[in-house]
Amino acid sequence: MFDVADVQGNILRGYRQPRVRHLILSVADVTEARAWLGATVSGSGGVPQVTSQAPWDEKPATCFDIGLTFEGLRALGVSSASLASFPTEFVEGMTARALKLGDIGDSSPEHWPSPFDKPDDIHLIVSLYGRETADLDRLQGQALQHARTFRLLGTRDGDNFNGDYVHFGYRDNISQPRFAEIHDPADYPDPQPMAPIGTVLLGYPNNFEGLFWRVPDPVALGRNGSFNAFRVLAQDVVGFENYLTEAAKYLLTQKGVDELLPEGDEARIGEGLSREGALREIVAAQMCGRWRNGVPLALSPDTPNPQPPLPVKEFNNFDYPAASGCPYSSHVRRSNPRNAQIVQRVANNSRRLVRRGMPYGPPYDPATPDAADSPERGLLGNFIGASLGAQFEAMCTDWVNVGLQDPRVTGSNDPLIGANAPETSWFDLVLKSGTTFRLRTLPRFVRARGGAYTFLPSITAIRYLGSLGK
Amino acid sequence: MDDTPSAQTSAAQHPTAQNNAAPDPSASDLVQAIIDDFPDHKPGTRPIHTIGVGVEGYFEASDVARSYCRAEHFGGQRVPVSVRFSNGSGSPVQHDGWNDVRGMATRFHLQNGATDLIAMTLNGFFVRTTKEFIAFTTAARQRPVRKASPWQKLLDMLQLKPPLPDPHPGQTASGDAGTLEYANAHPVAQLAVFQAGSIGAPVSYCRAAYHAVHTFIVTDPDGVRRPVRFAWKPVAGVRNTDPTLPPVDNYLQAEIRERLKQWPARFLLMMTIGESGDAFDDPTVPWPAHRVRVVMGTLTLTKVAEDQAAAAEHISFNPWRLVDGIEPSNDPILLARRDAYEESRKRRGGTACPFSHGAQ
Amino acid sequence: MAGLAEWFERFVDQLPNTRIMQFVAAYVLVPFWAWRTPVKPQAGGPHYSVQPGDNVQHMMNLIMPLKDKSAVGRAKAALAIAANKDEIYAGLDNVGTVHFARFVIVGDNICMFSVYDGDFTNYIRDFIATIGSVFDAVVGLVEGGEDVIPSESNVEKFIDWVHAHDLYQVSDQATDLFRDIEAVSGATEITRDLRLLPRDLILQLHVNPNVSLGSGYRAYPGYSVAEVRKQFGIGW
Repeated sequence: MFDVADVQGNILRGYRQPRVRHLILSVADVTEARAWLGATVSGSGGVPQVTSQAPWDEKPATCFDIGLTFEGLRALGVSSASLASFPTEFVEGMTARALKLGDIGDSSPEHWPSPFDKPDDIHLIVSLYGRETADLDRLQGQALQHARTFRLLGTRDGDNFNGDYVHFGYRDNISQPRFAEIHDPADYPDPQPMAPIGTVLLGYPNNFEGLFWRVPDPVALGRNGSFNAFRVLAQDVVGFENYLTEAAKYLLTQKGVDELLPEGDEARIGEGLSREGALREIVAAQMCGRWRNGVPLALSPDTPNPQPPLPVKEFNNFDYPAASGCPYSSHVRRSNPRNAQIVQRVANNSRRLVRRGMPYGPPYDPATPDAADSPERGLLGNFIGASLGAQFEAMCTDWVNVGLQDPRVTGSNDPLIGANAPETSWFDLVLKSGTTFRLRTLPRFVRARGGAYTFLPSITAIRYLGSLGK
Repeated sequence: MDDTPSAQTSAAQHPTAQNNAAPDPSASDLVQAIIDDFPDHKPGTRPIHTIGVGVEGYFEASDVARSYCRAEHFGGQRVPVSVRFSNGSGSPVQHDGWNDVRGMATRFHLQNGATDLIAMTLNGFFVRTTKEFIAFTTAARQRPVRKASPWQKLLDMLQLKPPLPDPHPGQTASGDAGTLEYANAHPVAQLAVFQAGSIGAPVSYCRAAYHAVHTFIVTDPDGVRRPVRFAWKPVAGVRNTDPTLPPVDNYLQAEIRERLKQWPARFLLMMTIGESGDAFDDPTVPWPAHRVRVVMGTLTLTKVAEDQAAAAEHISFNPWRLVDGIEPSNDPILLARRDAYEESRKRRGGTACPFSHGAQ
Repeated sequence: MAGLAEWFERFVDQLPNTRIMQFVAAYVLVPFWAWRTPVKPQAGGPHYSVQPGDNVQHMMNLIMPLKDKSAVGRAKAALAIAANKDEIYAGLDNVGTVHFARFVIVGDNICMFSVYDGDFTNYIRDFIATIGSVFDAVVGLVEGGEDVIPSESNVEKFIDWVHAHDLYQVSDQATDLFRDIEAVSGATEITRDLRLLPRDLILQLHVNPNVSLGSGYRAYPGYSVAEVRKQFGIGW
């Protein structure tokens, strides 16, 4: 039977902590590292205790997670038979899969900054969550108290600067797979079926009827574990806002714009918005599939402020019928088509991911636009699933880029996160009558600036790794 | 915002023979470099593709051409054309049957003005930049050539190397050894050198496929721009002479005369649409065969021109003679050809055609 | 003696066409050079690419040697397909990314040639989910197949196994063979002598006897199954 306390935290249920720090570590001393892992199970010797998914009475002040790369497992001395039982994409590592993920050009691993430019040295990614930076500093000090255990290759800090809002100005973290074992469906009205626990955990039935992902050997190591695509994604907020302006100016010159936004309706889009401002918001909403405040286009295609107001709980209570106000190419629809008609009919709910991300970098204030050398800002993303190949990679390769799921978008990439180049990119806006309006010259807004495939071991697995060599 | 991505080549080899701080070669340098490759070049003639024949005909666009390119000659009406077929060599001595690249230069006669499309039987060029071009042409200078000894050939066979082809009867000099050396030091040139080495001789100018090589940007009536490459495909099919038979020096011009008396010759104009990530500005890299190919129209050649002096010698094509709807890409070789062709025209006294530099 | 020299020249020129030279080349020279300059077999399937045109109409050339190489064995393979025709068609219609597919018996092999869109692993995985039982029936008759069936509980291994039996597609541009060799051996400084290109090809064919010559010809490249079906108004 499934024991929720054996699973690492943040996988089935998010922490909702405001700050994170990811420590990117290399094993310096194998024996010490194994002992350290063993210590995290119970938090002995001053080492922080790894947070499990056991239900909380009271939310802890800080949380602590551990992810291991293939090189990390190898460095810890996991047997070669066991290593051979891990999936190919995990073994090869994220940098070797760059073409599959669309990491080309500026996003290519060749341009990744340290420490991601030496992927073989990355063994562990330890994630610290807390309320204040001081909490993270303290936790880091505790985790790395013995300098001999690990080499600290680098850190990445993130913080929720505005609740669930992320750098493009959208409210994020609205849609997540809900598990019958964890969540009460009444709390989350959503036509998507409850996700089987095998969506994220190894060793259980998943969304593919009858299919089972291989649980790495031995069972103690593999069961209840999960895989994570950790991604440092830089967001070109300035470029994005500029593009919205460009697109709005272009739309103003086209006939048919009145169908998109009737004259005088600007206030419905937002208080005090000019016509151009309102068009910008419409383009932003159609590119994402939700208005910036999170209201889905599928429920409210005309305004982000429907009357009566839509409670946040209802933000997921929609699907994509044939006549939907949400463009086929919108980001949320491309990355998760729900029950929409897609080409690969068997795959409708099979590529869902648990997403635990946090923004990094200073928030963008349009009133004080950045100087020429704008600071890097973006998202520290964790894309969690039981099979990297079947979920994260499959989504990136055929859905986010190329757009094979729908012939109306094939040949185009996701407008927000796709590998777009201005001379060939396109995105179709959807007008009320159902006709489409093609926008072009979208640049690439999101660049990868680092990442790694990690294995998120269960508590049992961490104990097992701690006991290696004994 | 319109930054064209750099060419998708593996391990880009920097030109080793050139000092990169030196200025770029001028048009005159480029023309002279070609002339130096053919020591028997006759002043007053083209430095390369010297021997050719002028042919007349017309072009009719397909029903979809206009929706990809708003240029006048894709409007669907019959557009008269002047075409010059040629042998690649810059030597005045005619050797139709020798291993050589062939050229097909087409001028579309429009209501006001004209536009040119210049193509050859290789689908890629040897070099990417003018500096590399100088290095290549220097390497390609004629060297004395003789048949390899049977012992050398045996040695090659033992190494599973195909023996070097024997020089043609009467051939005493060749640039092949030099181009092979250059290719072995510069991987970007390997494909073109390899293909040129085995290109053979067509049985007719009308039985070869010609590629315009460079990327152009076409604009459709809605203002959408697409990067494309053009190629002519012979309706009669591609056919080469039998390489085991002794080559005939002079047959192509008579062949096309006889052919066109009997029936017209047709070519299909294929336009391949590039995708971002393809080599737009690198003429050494052909595009993958997985790109959308559009049939832009049919060329029908009806007769060899009466006045060959005008139609084959004085006429001067230029790849930058373009019209609204077609623009050049940022390909450095394409850019260099604009002035190099003009320089060459001036040197040989070819007919100038009124057109403004840099106009689209 | 000029007559002898001339005769020798002609002899050498004719030598490659003689049976004796072909025998020497095949049984002496090739093994010698394969030993002197060992070559790793290239991986199968199309090269990875992000460009849309390169991600549709992929060719799969799957060659699977039968365990039972008699006529009876071949008949079993034929029956395994025939008995599952409904399953196969249902799978093809619902996976939605296959343009053409056919099973062919050639010699002692059961082969599957198909044209499909998108990523190879997604394609096979979606098929395992829909027609895994058919895969099991066919692969069970193939050498080494028992290690990877039932496909539904050996998804990753099965996908890797199919990939290993998918033929190497010799590059469309002749000199790209050099790039493929560099990629597989990890070397950046391999022999760049253009005259050794034929030998590189020979040695690759020595370790990889079955190959696809190029990535295939397409009359209407660049379009997915669903785009074609939608364009013709027959539903996708």
